[in-house]
Amino acid sequence: MEPSKIRNFSIIAHIDHGKTTLSDRLLQTTGTIAKREMQEQLLDSMDLERERGITIKAHPVTMNYRAKDGLDYELNLIDTPGHVDFAYEVSRSLSACEGALLIIDAAQGVEAQTVANLHLAMKQNLTIIPVINKIDLPHANVELAKQQLEDILAIPSELAILASAKEGIGIEEILEAIVARIPAPVPTGAPTMQALCFDSYFDAYKGVVTHVRVFNGEIRAGMQIKLLHFGKTYEIKEVGSFNPKPYVRDVLTVGETGYMTANIKSPKETKIGDTITDARNPSPVLPGFKEIHPMVFSGIYPINASDYEHLKVNMEKLKLNDSAFIYSAESSVALGFGFRCGFLGLLHMEIVQERLRREYNMDIIATYPSVVYRVFLTDGTEKEVDNPAHLPEATYIEKIEEPIVKAFIICPNENIGDMMSLISEKRGTFDHTETLDTRRVMLTSLMPLNEILIDFHDRIKSITRGFGSMDYEHSGHQESEMVRLDMLVNAEPMDAFSCIVHRSKAEGRGRALAAKLKEVIPRQQFAVAIQGAIGGKIIARETIGSLRKDVTAKCYGGDVSRKRKLLEKQKEGKKRMKSFGSINIPQEAFIEVLKTST
Amino acid sequence: MVAISNEPLRSLYVHVPFCAHKCEYCAFYSAPPSGDIVNRYIAALVREFELVAHDLKPRTIFFGGGTPSMLNMRQWELILTELDRFNLLGAAEWTVECNPATVSADKAKLLRDFGVNRISMGVQSLDERLLERLGRIHSRAQVFKSYDILRAAGFDNVNIDLMFAIPTQTMEIWRATLAEAASLDSEHLSCYEVIYEEDTPLYAQLKAGEFDVDEDLACAMYDELTAFAGERNYQQYEVANFAKHKGTAASDIPDRACRHNVNYWRGGSYHGVGPSATGYVRGVRTKNWANTQIYCEQLEKGVRAIESREELPPRRRAGETAAFGLRMNSGWPYADFREATGFDLRTEWPREMDSLIARGWAQETQNQFKLSERGLRFADSAAEMFL
Ligand SMILES: Nc1nc2c(ncn2[C@@H]2O[C@H](COP(=O)(O)OP(=O)(O)OP(=O)(O)O)[C@@H](O)[C@H]2O)c(=O)[nH]1
Ligand code: SF4
Ligand SMILES: [Mg+2]
Repeated sequence: MEPSKIRNFSIIAHIDHGKTTLSDRLLQTTGTIAKREMQEQLLDSMDLERERGITIKAHPVTMNYRAKDGLDYELNLIDTPGHVDFAYEVSRSLSACEGALLIIDAAQGVEAQTVANLHLAMKQNLTIIPVINKIDLPHANVELAKQQLEDILAIPSELAILASAKEGIGIEEILEAIVARIPAPVPTGAPTMQALCFDSYFDAYKGVVTHVRVFNGEIRAGMQIKLLHFGKTYEIKEVGSFNPKPYVRDVLTVGETGYMTANIKSPKETKIGDTITDARNPSPVLPGFKEIHPMVFSGIYPINASDYEHLKVNMEKLKLNDSAFIYSAESSVALGFGFRCGFLGLLHMEIVQERLRREYNMDIIATYPSVVYRVFLTDGTEKEVDNPAHLPEATYIEKIEEPIVKAFIICPNENIGDMMSLISEKRGTFDHTETLDTRRVMLTSLMPLNEILIDFHDRIKSITRGFGSMDYEHSGHQESEMVRLDMLVNAEPMDAFSCIVHRSKAEGRGRALAAKLKEVIPRQQFAVAIQGAIGGKIIARETIGSLRKDVTAKCYGGDVSRKRKLLEKQKEGKKRMKSFGSINIPQEAFIEVLKTST
Repeated sequence: MVAISNEPLRSLYVHVPFCAHKCEYCAFYSAPPSGDIVNRYIAALVREFELVAHDLKPRTIFFGGGTPSMLNMRQWELILTELDRFNLLGAAEWTVECNPATVSADKAKLLRDFGVNRISMGVQSLDERLLERLGRIHSRAQVFKSYDILRAAGFDNVNIDLMFAIPTQTMEIWRATLAEAASLDSEHLSCYEVIYEEDTPLYAQLKAGEFDVDEDLACAMYDELTAFAGERNYQQYEVANFAKHKGTAASDIPDRACRHNVNYWRGGSYHGVGPSATGYVRGVRTKNWANTQIYCEQLEKGVRAIESREELPPRRRAGETAAFGLRMNSGWPYADFREATGFDLRTEWPREMDSLIARGWAQETQNQFKLSERGLRFADSAAEMFL
């Protein structure tokens, strides 16, 4: 297609403001999807997305549209997730576009991710089309939304299109605005072909399927190409686009987005953000993506040790489709061989675990999440620690710095008091308040990342009955009194439960863990002490009384066979136990605790 | 290994699958009878007797259930005369289980006349409230009355079944029940802790959190039981079984022990007939259908109603025999074990035996290996090692 007839845009917004629903309407109105194939939030095609009602992956679709000017255009849409943990999906999608639809829920107004995602788009110099959505809602407040557009986002409110994705209001106007306002792609002018790999997934038959945006020249099957990062050359087997299922095309011309396959069998040969160019006459590298740094780490272990290799292969494949996820090998006394994994946030962590379970059928267990600490040692060196097991002895530590975020919490006026106490409970320092409108304020505070990991978001939601939202940005590090809490059974440490916590929280957490462990560790033939310890100091303790008997009260002739099978099963179970000193603990007990405490 | 003998078997178990009302804790196969099912069952049972009779010369017979005493005079008469016809009378030990609510003088006399010489009475508790809690159909008073009837009919070998660690049972109640039961001066006591079997109302109540299991109290009750039994001259010979010893020479197995059960624990063979009954015949374990309807249909066709069969390889069979025999205070005399299984306990499981001894759970003498008092409380953990 002629570049002047191509428009590339993403749909961005705060979570739940209606991006995917608006995408539905665009697909329908352009005839990309027949009415009978239509279903709500069609692009949320992963099971997890449909179950949770949120978008997790960016989804590209190519639409053909005959505009009011009578000309045919190719519109390449990318629907993006709204949750802060998937912001990397948004920024990568934006790199393939010239414009973005910024959706604002007319009943909710501007929220944390509205601001954050707008900034991402502006950094890439994209043209913004503001859309005030859900105007059909009885409590929609269009005037307020317009006001906020001007005040908070500095966007002239007359640019906004009023729409209801649900009722199909404003859809034509949006399509026309896309054609009229978003610039057509412009070739880079490099000597040969250049395309950006902005996403990918693994296909059992085709190997790696790379999502590409062609920035210069064109790509078609049979071309010899080079992936600049690893310097390897391939022959393109297939190019195509999405509707939203992949379909084969002859060529992707400059400015178009779509996919290509090149018989790349190993996920390891692909790097997201890489430049694809002509093999014989390579053009320069395109600006790729900023390396992102995972902020939350946790161990992932196969429940059956024999699944380790399998898990590794599957993680490689998953990483192709989730480039924010990183992993490396680690091992634990309690859990055997597994992986240290990095995530952008807690939801991201949960989603990765779920995808491994469902899409790859892996039986896995994850350890308590941790952030990355900067540890300054007495010998003057510095070390990054994301795993409690790697925290040096206290005597070698000069100081520890923990990551801090600047958190922006938007909440109704009446919840300010509760929100302030939540912030201080989580060791945050309140900075200032801004009035957003007559009903809501935005609280800005500095918070340790480690404190917002676990239940901060849920707490905000429950305090505000769903009306609060939060976003955060990194704000450096601060020295803190962090300690490693170890859990011991009869003085043997159980590494899977160690964690780095603030001294003021260590005791509470130690107690809670000890109590939980007491519940799940089966009685042994002798008493077992469960302790929480910081260095040599015991701060929490529980005792599991000794098992006093293990005998079936009554046994008849008729029971022998059944009873024998039961005993055999128990014996089998004991074989799978992990021993700590003389104590045998079934792996299920670890899993139980890890499940309930993260 | 032992040569398979063609000698007729010496033990017979007969299952009577009827109860007036299902007890809260009970997982045995039994149900209240309806329609003509009892008569149909008896006809089928007689047919099954006929099928096994050629391979039986019973030294012990045990009628269990269910509630065998629920059958009426006419039904019992039929069963007993048929046993006679197949030459199956005359067992040295012949036990019938009785529910205190279903004993009558006539029935007692009839059983006695045909050679039944041991009665096992399901008493469970002598606390009126607990009897109700357990869903038992009889009262305290019926226990005493039935006991007198049985004695009057000439039964001089009676067992009383008791349960402890029943939800809401206190130590005081348990002591009182033990004292009252002992005052009856039965020859045998079978006392076991409540077992929570899946698919029973009691289990469902436990899972629903209606009560908690107090393991410490259960242990204390067991201690109370063993101490009490000793004081009253009941000799413990298995985890849950206590019997009088009338002979003069001491023995690990008291002479009023239930020989039929001893045969089970020692891995002996037996035929089992009736719905859900198991048998162990020349190394093969069988289980009849736990469904009276199917049971009857099969036998009406003239075939046994066997649902499943299991035959372990000799060494595993020996392990099973070792494991279950250790539930008895006498443990395993090496010679008996060799005779029962063809294997030598000491050469097959030396490491297991050593580790049990090291833990203080077992003792070894010249001729015998047995669990200690403490070991008996971990009989399952010990048993596991031989499987
Ligand atoms: N009343 C009304 N509801 C809408 C409208 N647009 C979307 N919704 C509803 O808002 C909810 C969220 O819609 P989605 O399209 O999934 O929102 P999203 O922005 O894609 O959400 P994420 O991808 O999770 O960030 C759904 O229940 C939609 O039915 C609208 O115009 N009017
Ligand atoms: S009487 Fe015995 S067999 Fe019948 S239900 Fe009660 S416990 Fe079970
Ligand atoms: Mg969505």
